[in-house]
Amino acid sequence: MKHVRLTSALSAFRHVLAACALSLGLLSIAAPATSAATPAGWLRLAHLSPNTPAVDVYLYAFGNSHARVVLHHVSYGTVSPYLPAPAGVYTVAMRPAGAASSSAPVLSTAVHVHAADAYTVAGMGPAKGLRLQVLKDRLTSPPGHAMVRVIQASMREHLVTIRAGTDLIGKNLAFATATSYQAVSHGRLTVRAAGETEHALSTLTLDSGTIHTLVVLDEPGHLRIDNLTDAAGSKFQPDGGGPATGLGGTAPPRASSMTWLAFIAAGLLLAMTGLIRFRRGRRTEFPMR
Amino acid sequence: MTRGRHAARASRPAGLRTLLAGSLVALGGLTGLALNMWTGASAGPAGPVPHVAAPRGRAAALASASQSGRVPAPLFLVIPAIGVRTRLVQLGTAGDGTLEVPQHADVAGWYTASARPGAIGPAVIAGHVDSLTTRGVFFLLRSLRPGDLVYVVRADVSVVRFAITAVKLYPKAGFPAAAVYGPVPYAAIRLITCGGTFDHSTGHYLSNVVAFGDQVGRAKPRPGG
Repeated sequence: MKHVRLTSALSAFRHVLAACALSLGLLSIAAPATSAATPAGWLRLAHLSPNTPAVDVYLYAFGNSHARVVLHHVSYGTVSPYLPAPAGVYTVAMRPAGAASSSAPVLSTAVHVHAADAYTVAGMGPAKGLRLQVLKDRLTSPPGHAMVRVIQASMREHLVTIRAGTDLIGKNLAFATATSYQAVSHGRLTVRAAGETEHALSTLTLDSGTIHTLVVLDEPGHLRIDNLTDAAGSKFQPDGGGPATGLGGTAPPRASSMTWLAFIAAGLLLAMTGLIRFRRGRRTEFPMR
Repeated sequence: MTRGRHAARASRPAGLRTLLAGSLVALGGLTGLALNMWTGASAGPAGPVPHVAAPRGRAAALASASQSGRVPAPLFLVIPAIGVRTRLVQLGTAGDGTLEVPQHADVAGWYTASARPGAIGPAVIAGHVDSLTTRGVFFLLRSLRPGDLVYVVRADVSVVRFAITAVKLYPKAGFPAAAVYGPVPYAAIRLITCGGTFDHSTGHYLSNVVAFGDQVGRAKPRPGG
């Protein structure tokens, strides 16, 4: 977990780099779309600060002044889907909703994206003291289990305890903190988040082979639990390698009995010819006078 | 006379040679026939596509527990690049724990314990490359190329679109279960069929062809800035 405060130095450096790139005519090398063929990771962007107004969230490839992605008017409790991003360093910046893209960001942080890894970059904490946290997300689960992590984003309840079924998955979690992932028994579970005065109940289906982040949020008068699917696989992995999806009707045929019979016939014919020629040859050599 | 004798002397070994060659060919044919009879008795399945146990027990229970709510079940698969248009049957696991395959070679099937197409996770769809006599629904799967589009029509008539990212051939023993069935943080598709060399003695292909795809065309955050 990394906390990076707004650094105007970083921002300035980015602009200097961008200016250099412009003058060299090297701009916009970053490909807008990625495929599984290029080593890529994933980023999702979130606003989890209860008393911070809506923001525009910008994602830049480090050193590129053109944003890869801009999410407009992101309000408290919003988490974007995963955005694929080639491995590398990125800058996430937040500006007040509607502010010019050229204006100085309120907040920014650098994120190092590794191939095949996923990250949640969330604005967390109170408006005063807001910071961007980079959380590394888990993309695997042990067979037969669901994995769960909690982000505590309720400011009214400073300490929240959360249970999934009978499993305790977070005790007295402080505002603006996140737990690590833990395995829970899969299936349909009642999840209960309780603060000192407010609580939330939610019935969730956590399938085996899936990984979730539960976000505890402030709602007017009560708490809310948001269930994010970080990754999902098949609930059950079949055994025994690849499936048997072919019976050979289009495969090169094995030589059939008919082929072999034809071989025998041809062979016999050839042998007969040879025999006849051989005998005729003898007759010619010893002619009868 | 001299000339005739000379020709005769030349034709004698030639006749002998032909006799010998003919005998050898006939003998080879006889051996082949014998071998064919011998292995034919223990060769692979006969008759139509063998009937594989319908999903019961574990797989069926998993399928019913899979109510992922918002995303409806898939009904049809269309792959214009290779002329595939098929309904999708539902597949579980067979009695021996392996992935069930469609009973008929001309339809593909969706593995019900995998993600519903368009939901987060890999949606696994299997189809035959061929039957005992003819081409199967995924006969041309191996000729898909990255960027080719795959459409899945779901129960609410919504269409979800995927772009192929890779098509690979794996020996059965080295089947990449984690890459095919394992978790991913986005909606993906895996199309599976058979390929490689056909083993006449077992009646199975030795390899699998897997086409990997990612969902495309979903409402995306606006790029720019």
